[in-house]
Amino acid sequence: MSARDKSSWEQTPGAPAGHFVSGLVYTDPDIYRDESDKIFSNAWRFACHASELPEANDYRVFDHDGQSLVAMRGEDDVIRTFLNVCSHRGAKLLDQPSGNAKHVTCFYHRWTYDNHGQCTGIPRASGYASDGVKKESMGLREVRTDVLHDLVFITLDGATPPLETFIGPALDRFSEMLSGQPLEVFHYNQAVLECNWKAWHETNMDLYHEFMHVVLRQTQVNAMPMEDRKLIVFEGGHGGSGGDLKAAYDGYEGFAGRGDDVPPLAGMSATDFRFINLFPSTAIISRGTVVRIDTVTPIGPDKALLEMRGLGVQGEPDGHRRVRQKHHNQYWGPFGRNVPEDMVAAESCADSFRHQAGRYQIIARDEKMAGQDDAILRAFYAEWGRRLGRDPGAPV
Amino acid sequence: MSDNEAIRMLIAKSCLTLDDGDFSAYLALCAPDYAYRIKAWSPELRNDMIWLEHDRDGLAGLFATLPEHLQRSGRLSRHVSTATIEARENTEAYDVVSSLIVHHTDLDGRTQTLAVGRYKDTVAWVDGAILLSAREVALETRDLGIGLHVPL
Ligand code: FES
Ligand SMILES: [Fe+2]
Repeated sequence: MSARDKSSWEQTPGAPAGHFVSGLVYTDPDIYRDESDKIFSNAWRFACHASELPEANDYRVFDHDGQSLVAMRGEDDVIRTFLNVCSHRGAKLLDQPSGNAKHVTCFYHRWTYDNHGQCTGIPRASGYASDGVKKESMGLREVRTDVLHDLVFITLDGATPPLETFIGPALDRFSEMLSGQPLEVFHYNQAVLECNWKAWHETNMDLYHEFMHVVLRQTQVNAMPMEDRKLIVFEGGHGGSGGDLKAAYDGYEGFAGRGDDVPPLAGMSATDFRFINLFPSTAIISRGTVVRIDTVTPIGPDKALLEMRGLGVQGEPDGHRRVRQKHHNQYWGPFGRNVPEDMVAAESCADSFRHQAGRYQIIARDEKMAGQDDAILRAFYAEWGRRLGRDPGAPV
Repeated sequence: MSDNEAIRMLIAKSCLTLDDGDFSAYLALCAPDYAYRIKAWSPELRNDMIWLEHDRDGLAGLFATLPEHLQRSGRLSRHVSTATIEARENTEAYDVVSSLIVHHTDLDGRTQTLAVGRYKDTVAWVDGAILLSAREVALETRDLGIGLHVPL
């Protein structure tokens, strides 16, 4: 019952293995490189929503594992992804985050490519006649791409098992919402956070921190008996809500009547709260009328790029869209009530672990897969440990 | 005081009152039908986005709940430079465009630019006072770091 001295503070917490995480997982440069080699260079990763490439020849540029990639919709309607790098001398091909291009012309020496990744033109190609450089062998590096429920995923590794195997049943409870009506991204923004990527992803996996958010204290914590909330984890480190959590929106000023003036998404009711965290770095979260997709990309051990998307129904009346935007913004907008608070939390913990003032994260809550169980965090770190061959509690 | 002078002062005051967290003084500068909105253009979606939208009551509610929220610590300083003031024909209203810079100063006194954009305001004479009747904050900055709860 007292404050702890140095050795007691630095000791592993008195919880079973797998129930705590060493702060080194957020800071150690070797672990960071290992994550790139053993997670990001081969796991499937959410790239964008198919609605971001509505027309043939549309493209969408994004960053993954330190590289710039571009997803393109061909005239055959197939979405393909390539490294956004010219075969000639490595210039970045596309500068804009999105656009429409039947052919991509590299600005540097004007080599051209089509959206199948074939090199279609080399100016004054005769200069290469004697050395065998020819457009037929100068195509772009294609990256495996697959689409599930309009979610576009990529993997850098040709040997990774298929997307459906990787996801398993983790998206089953989302298939109706994601495919029951065509969805469309209406909100996108990024934030560079001064924390390790996992510190952000944890905010989506940790139910216990509902207490941090006044909105959730007032609308969610008491909306249903804790023991009736069901959580679920899947092979591969994915985890989320097993049965829907409920929200009582009249508990918070200005949120009452949420859902009265717009239909909920397919398979949802306005007061449902449903979420899934896909290993390694994507969260899909729905609050009945609107859905958010969150992706975090490592930039360095101590820096992460967070991408935030909000989705509504494609082609819906303006009035409905406005209401969905409002519902999105109430929680998740850059001026919303929840996400800015989560960012404070992620950066605050990072600050403690940066110089090992903080030593461990305790993820030991056991509520029999209900309430605010830490099982989703444990499942994530179990998969992380399996891939890296490291114990998250003693990783070096 | 000329109308132009009164309008410049109104807009400058709207910044200082928000900087000071004096929300009742801010709301006193707003007409009863005040409409507030933050917008940003997304080059990713090639579309406009609305990031915050409130009427006067909605803003008052937002301000009232602010103390219970976890916020980025430190202070914001909004700086405006009003560029154009155009009278609307046959009304007592003006359309006003100002460029906006918001700085954040942390608890250790370090200041960084947080956001740039424009205020697109409509102001009007109401019962002898010049008041804000609409404000659109058009943001250039789309990465606001750890984010905010307060209107800019
Ligand atoms: S680097 Fe692209 S054409 Fe030379
Ligand atoms: Fe949160």
